[in-house]
This record gives sequence, C-alpha cells and structure tokens, in this order.
Amino acid sequence: MAFLSHLFLPREENNFRAKILHHDFLTYYLFFAVFFTFFFKISPFSNILGFATDITAEKLYQLTNQERLKYGLSALNYNEKLSQAAYKKAQDMFAKNYWAHYGPNGVTPWNFILSVGYQYEYAGENLAKNFLFSDGVVSAWMNSPTHRDNILRKEYTDVGFAIVSGVLNGEETTLVVQMFAKPLEKTISLNQPKEKIPVLSPSPYIEKKETYPQSTVLAKEVGQNKLNLTKISLDANLIFLIFLLLALGMDFYFAKKLGVVRLTGKNIAHFIFIFFLLISLFLIPKGIIL
Amino acid sequence: MSDFLLHIKKEIKKHLFDYLLLISAGIFFLIGLNIFRGERLIEFILLLAFTSFYIIWGVYHHIIEDTLHLKIVLEYVLIGFTLLFLLKMIVFP
Repeated sequence: MAFLSHLFLPREENNFRAKILHHDFLTYYLFFAVFFTFFFKISPFSNILGFATDITAEKLYQLTNQERLKYGLSALNYNEKLSQAAYKKAQDMFAKNYWAHYGPNGVTPWNFILSVGYQYEYAGENLAKNFLFSDGVVSAWMNSPTHRDNILRKEYTDVGFAIVSGVLNGEETTLVVQMFAKPLEKTISLNQPKEKIPVLSPSPYIEKKETYPQSTVLAKEVGQNKLNLTKISLDANLIFLIFLLLALGMDFYFAKKLGVVRLTGKNIAHFIFIFFLLISLFLIPKGIIL
Repeated sequence: MSDFLLHIKKEIKKHLFDYLLLISAGIFFLIGLNIFRGERLIEFILLLAFTSFYIIWGVYHHIIEDTLHLKIVLEYVLIGFTLLFLLKMIVFP
C-alpha cells in the first residue's frame, strides 16, 4: 500500500510529486513509446511492407450482409471474380496514382469487372482509403447516402472485396474496393447452379500477390492468424492516456489538498493536451470514402 | 473537492488567455484531423504541430509566470514526445 501511494500520491518521500510523474518515469515511458513504434514497424506480426490495418474481406463481407439483413434484403454471395476485379482496380489506382472511381485514362470500374469474365446486368463500386478497422469502413459507407444505396440495392446478388496496401501519392495507403454486381441471366444459367448458392466464406484475392510486388493484400490470414497489432496499439494508447490523466488528476488533487507549492509543469495544461489527444484517437482510425 | 475546483477556476481565470490559447490549438487540431481524414502525412503533421505548440506553450507560460526551469521544460518535452510516438503508431500503422 505504501508503495502504491509512493507511486501515485504526492508525499514527502517522493518530493511531493507522484513517482509515476517523475522525470525518470517519464523517460521510461518515452523509451517504451520509441521501442514500440519501431517494434511495430519491423515486427514479424506486421505485414510485409511494415504497415497493417485490421481490415479483412471476411469481416467486410459479414458486416455488409448484416446491414442488408437489417433492411430485409437478401444476403450477397461472395464472388471470387468480383474480388479479382476489385483487386485489379486497386492495383490500377496504385499504378496510375489516382483515387477515384474513374481512371485518368477513362477506365471505368465496369472495365475491371468485364476483364475478369463477369458479365453483369447491374454493377456498383464503393471505395475506402486508410481506415484501420473493417467496422469503420462499413459504418462510413452506411453514413453516406450514395454508398448506403449501393450496399442496400436489392438488384445486387454478388459482392467482392480487395484490401490492398501500397504507395499512393508517395504515401503508404490501404485501399478497400468493394464491387457489387448481378450477373446476366445467361451467365447464371451457364455458370451457377439453379439451387440456392451457399454463403461462402470469403477468401480475399491473394493468388497474384507475387505478380504485384509493389503492394500487398491484407488477407484474412494476416488479420486472424497473427496478433492484431492495430487493435492492440490503439487499446494501449487509450489505456496509457487514461492512466496519465488519472495520475495527473490524483497528483493535482492531493497536492492541493496538502497545500504543497512545487516547481513542476502545469497539470491543467498536461490534462488539456492529453484530453485532446484522447479524442483524436477516435478520429485517426477513420479514413475517407469515395 | 470544492476547494480543488475553486483552485482550478482561479488558476484558469488567472491565465485565461494562456489556457484559451491551448484549448483553441486543441480544437484546431481536432478540426484539422476531421478535415484531413485518411491523409496520414497531414494527420502526422497536425499531431507534430500540436505537440510542438504544447511544448512551446509550456515554456511561454512559465516564462510569463517567472517559474521557468529546465526540469519543467523537460517535463513538457517528455510528455509531448512520449504521446507523439505513441500516436504515430496509429497514424502510420
């Protein structure tokens, strides 16, 4: 107990400043922060290019269908060809350095769908960039009327996803491409059985990874079999910021109670700074949609 | 507890301009993050700018208060840089 109060409360033994706020402790925090920053980059748990998000095609597929079911619509079938088209689209954006539905040379999303041999009757595309979590992507799409319309269009029967990381405009970027379509009747009768198609577990398009060394697909293997570093680091940040806020609050409160006059930084200023950083933790994981 | 709150109130009232400056910087930081969502480099620049502002604010505030000491500057630098490195992990995953 005495040890804990030495750590957290201002007393004579700790020079009337909680030990966890002393310079030696603050230096340890800095060392840990620097260590984890570099560990995170070079860790074997991270993906090949050293940057990782927690977005998986499986989760996106699940969340998309959840939203459709909420509105009484049928679940979409995972379509490998649409995932290939989505992957090609993402690759095209990295290769030609653009972030749009239509390429600079006039290439449309539909070109990619047709190029993988999928004849469509209806088709649609949703894009997202630099999100950290799958639920953030789907919730951003659902908050945008046009993207929501795409997800909730009753005509669509198939969906495909690609989550690709690479360098766009000189910046490490994670792109999410979601492609919807309904095949032409002819295609249905030729390629698909008449009976209800079972809901397939999505397997992100990773076969061509070696063909495109400039980028990497964050496949479900990365998200599931390895430690989820993105979530861990976000949680660690949250916990550490709250810990600092509490430590500063307690130190400030008890120092005032004891009537101690000290030569330290302003706890109110530290508090304000940490408070804004805490709020920023909820904004940074959100990316942009198109 | 009321004494404690009274003390905070007095402290803020005494340095109203300084605290308003810091809060305004924080609000601009959050607005900037919201505007440049998904632009990782700009997000990091905003984070760096806010952290630098906080350290400079600390130095400025203690100069005005005539309580500037190397120990105090170090405290702002250590807290600022620790949080900068921690949040960098989220900005550049």
